[in-house]
Amino acid sequence: MALRFEDDFLKKLEYLQVVSRRAFAGHRGADRRARKRGRGLEFADHRGYSAGDDFRHIDWKAYQRLGRLLLRLFDEEQDLPIYLFIDSSRSMAEPAKFDQARRIAAALCYIGLAHLDRVTLLPFDIKLGDETDPGRGKGRIFRVFEQLEKLETRGPTDLREAFKTFGNRTRQAGLAVVISDFLDPHGFEPGLKMLASMKHDVFAVHITSERDRDPGALGEVRFVDAETGELRDVDVTPSLAAAYGGAWHAHQVEVERFCGRYNLGYIRADAEQPFEHVILKTFRQGRFLQ
Amino acid sequence: MAWWQALLLLAAAAAAAVWLFRMKIRPPRVGVPTLFLWRRVLDEKREMTWWERVRRAVSLAATVLIAVALALAVTRPGPRRSADASRGRRLIVLDSSWSMLARAESGGTRWDRAVRMAHRLAAASGGADVALATTADGLVEGPSADTALIETAIDRVRPSGGESAPWPVVAGVDSVHFITDGALARSLDASVTIHSVFEAAPNVAITAFDARSAAAGAKAPEAFVAIANYAPAAQKVRLTITRDSTMIAERTVDLGPGEAGYQAFPIASGKGGRLLARVSAPQNALDVDDEASAWLPGGEPIAVTIVAEEPAAALARLLKDAPWVTPTFVTPAQYRQGRADVFIFDRWAPPAPPNRPALLLAPPAVAWLGTAGADEKAPHWIQPGSHPVLEGVDPLTLEIKRARGLQAPGLTVVAQSEKGTPLVVVADTVDRRLIALSFAVADSNLAFAHAFPVLIGNALEWLAQPSFGPSRRPGRMTLPGSTLRVTDHSGNAMPLVRAGGFAVVTLATPGLHLVEAGGARGVVAVNVGDPEVSNLGRSSLAGKGQPSDAASGAGGRPWWTYAVIGAFLLASIEWWTWQRRVTV
Repeated sequence: MALRFEDDFLKKLEYLQVVSRRAFAGHRGADRRARKRGRGLEFADHRGYSAGDDFRHIDWKAYQRLGRLLLRLFDEEQDLPIYLFIDSSRSMAEPAKFDQARRIAAALCYIGLAHLDRVTLLPFDIKLGDETDPGRGKGRIFRVFEQLEKLETRGPTDLREAFKTFGNRTRQAGLAVVISDFLDPHGFEPGLKMLASMKHDVFAVHITSERDRDPGALGEVRFVDAETGELRDVDVTPSLAAAYGGAWHAHQVEVERFCGRYNLGYIRADAEQPFEHVILKTFRQGRFLQ
Repeated sequence: MAWWQALLLLAAAAAAAVWLFRMKIRPPRVGVPTLFLWRRVLDEKREMTWWERVRRAVSLAATVLIAVALALAVTRPGPRRSADASRGRRLIVLDSSWSMLARAESGGTRWDRAVRMAHRLAAASGGADVALATTADGLVEGPSADTALIETAIDRVRPSGGESAPWPVVAGVDSVHFITDGALARSLDASVTIHSVFEAAPNVAITAFDARSAAAGAKAPEAFVAIANYAPAAQKVRLTITRDSTMIAERTVDLGPGEAGYQAFPIASGKGGRLLARVSAPQNALDVDDEASAWLPGGEPIAVTIVAEEPAAALARLLKDAPWVTPTFVTPAQYRQGRADVFIFDRWAPPAPPNRPALLLAPPAVAWLGTAGADEKAPHWIQPGSHPVLEGVDPLTLEIKRARGLQAPGLTVVAQSEKGTPLVVVADTVDRRLIALSFAVADSNLAFAHAFPVLIGNALEWLAQPSFGPSRRPGRMTLPGSTLRVTDHSGNAMPLVRAGGFAVVTLATPGLHLVEAGGARGVVAVNVGDPEVSNLGRSSLAGKGQPSDAASGAGGRPWWTYAVIGAFLLASIEWWTWQRRVTV
């Protein structure tokens, strides 16, 4: 798959910004409000003047009105660490799903880079893959595209193990976006809980596919697990197919409810949906982009 | 097939179906992203629906039913014949007259309905013997309890006329079923059950067609056509006459309902004796009577070779002046076999019999011809003969000076003197056709008698173009025993049955038929058109006969067709439900 976006679309992306529900301390100046008060442009608060403060920040109008020296405080604008986890396990091998996941990752990456955020791309399956730190600035997007194009699906899914590896290294708290189908035989909950416990603002992008919901098989079939290669002969009756459809739907709801319960962001992105619609509509409606 | 054989076959079919049903076929592989959701569904104790519990058994039963139905349809078993097998023996007689080919407004032809009815009757025989007959061919099949045999025969027979054929009689039958449209009135026994397939239909037909050579006083040959409109409304009928492949006449005739019209067409001189008349009209339910054939005698002149050292002057003059003869004069030294339609040997005979019909005038004794008797001076010929050669010949006007009779086993004396000397003998066998006069033209006053051109004309026509009368209806025809071969218009030889010095041929199809005998060739025209056949609006059944339920297109099929239909329906349902995995 060639990850190339139209210029018009890229311009639209530049107007978007990744929304973090919390402010994080960044390393470098950027255009994102940080927790620190500093030399930003956006007024934050007043405090009393003390010796040593920069008198250029004294609010003279307030002094004239109140007779007290008050210092104007500004939010310091810093960059946001964004960790983009992309599920590259075999369960994502269906081209429509994986392409959608990579396009979303590329778009989010571009948005982050355009706003001078620090984006880190982290493919994972049963373990964490080679992470990529493209740096800052949208000129680096082509490295991201290249990296995503080279990405291949392999191995089973284990969110917990992958995020455990991620947490082994000290990282600055930031926005953790997990792009996955969340079809983890060990359960998706422990992994997401662990990621949230690392003080990151976790956002789950749930990639779903109609083909996953209905494999289109009826009668006696031999199912092959894409991740483990396990075989299972099943006589798929219409009622069994319906029961599976119900279980699949329940799994979607389960992921969504879990995210809601633990205050994690959640967006469902159908593989069959047009990508631009996902980015420009779904993500904005999910208040992940503004 | 006996019941035990049928049961064995059905059991085998059922067993094969069960085996095929239970045979494990490797299921197709379907890739899924993960099995854990499927496992979750499969492992939970889901209560099977009633249908899920029985659907396998239902599918198995359907498969066995399909196999058994097909096996039944193929073998068509009947009940075992009892010792008194003749009990319930049934004769089905199909009316095979041409009117059965009439198309009905309700679809199909009367024949189609009759066939369906016959199938139903055969199937309903309950294992008793069934015989099939047609009014044209008599007994066609049976009596037999093998319904498959009878039903095959029903599908095989076709209408072929036979209105004059005798009623088929089969010994020991208990019931006779006659399926007819009643176009031809028949006096039938009261015990015969009549099944009517009659449905009135409009029709236009050629009811007569013939041609004749130029008669005395007429300038040219003529063709006569009779056409009739058997429709309830007036119609414009288009009539065409074709000679060989050239259309020589075309007319449109207005005919009122039930009206018949007669048309005469002069035929210009030219070659070709085959005439074909054809009619067409908007309301016309029967095709077979829309065409009629006729043969124009003398349409082509007879090639006559006269072999003589010096032919009789009167004979030479007569032949040169006759327009229907092309004479060639040769000496005995120039004689060759097979270069004429007829040879005339004047006071000479070839050493070997000629391969063409021949007229011999005072032939010398040769081995192949027979032995010559004693000379009789001034024989008296007083009895006129009945042979076609002597038709119109008055013996009393003849004076014969001297005659020498010929005698041979193959020769038939058709005229003799008062003392018994053969004067005119003929041979009419498969390989020889000849006439021998035992006196020369010069030894009599024949050249000056009125009988001379008549005798020579009769002789040449009998030798070269034997006439078989006007056009006739399809059916059996009795021909002289000398008939060598009869071929239809397609050149197919018709089977000849020889009995009692005659040859009998069944001319089943309309058209011209060529009859060959002793090197001579004659033509028989066979036409269907007839008011009895072509008037499709009337029936002799009026009020009689059981209405054919086959007319509605239902109920006329044999039972095994229902087995096939049932198997097909079951297989379709099974396939449809299997596609949706409702069944397995």
